[in-house]
Amino acid sequence: MALIPEQVRQQLKDRFETVLTGPVHLTVYTRPGSSRLILPAGVGCATCEDARQMAELLRDAAPEKIAVEVVDVTRDEERALNDGVPDVPTIAVASDSETPRIRFQGLATGTEFPALIDAIERVSRAEHGLREESVTALAKLTEPAEVMVFATPT
Amino acid sequence: MSLANRMALASPQIRAVCVEANEFPYLSNQFRVRGVPHTVINRKASFVGALPEPDFVAAVLEGAGVAVDEPHEAPSGPSTEMTN
Repeated sequence: MALIPEQVRQQLKDRFETVLTGPVHLTVYTRPGSSRLILPAGVGCATCEDARQMAELLRDAAPEKIAVEVVDVTRDEERALNDGVPDVPTIAVASDSETPRIRFQGLATGTEFPALIDAIERVSRAEHGLREESVTALAKLTEPAEVMVFATPT
Repeated sequence: MSLANRMALASPQIRAVCVEANEFPYLSNQFRVRGVPHTVINRKASFVGALPEPDFVAAVLEGAGVAVDEPHEAPSGPSTEMTN
């Protein structure tokens, strides 16, 4: 079965055409050529190839707005370290210039797929959509904070 | 997870990481993930379930050690038990 069915790809293409305004940079941190077996942490990568394909399919839905960069962590460990990406696959979503602060670790399928699409659209439109009170409250943060959300495909 | 991403867009201090729990059992075990969504702030504080925006923001600030104006009740929102 296709990673993203043709019908969904067409829907994404139509939607991205009207919704996306600015550029989106997807960085895929991957370990190419890994086995599909699930091995201990740090060894192998069961979904790296699928994650890369998913990022490329999303780019193909709006190639003039979405760019994909693939970082092979076996060759460029320093880059992954600098970007604070400990595990693969990770898809990071950012506008062109910034260090990515929105990441999807593991293959974003099921309930995570709409969140990935939402992140792409919001980054493109620079539109967080939070209430003013929330933005004021978040301005109190003076140190970096990490918010990890564990989810499952179903 | 969408709220966490939106917060990362709104604040340059926030990094949002959506983790596929089944794919990274070492992380799920480390943070004792039994149901989803399970949110962990700065790898210390955590809560389970989906929260409304004001509660989510307050929980993140609290977890990051920022004093919040009103006392925040122990949050618990709708969640789904993990199945493997």
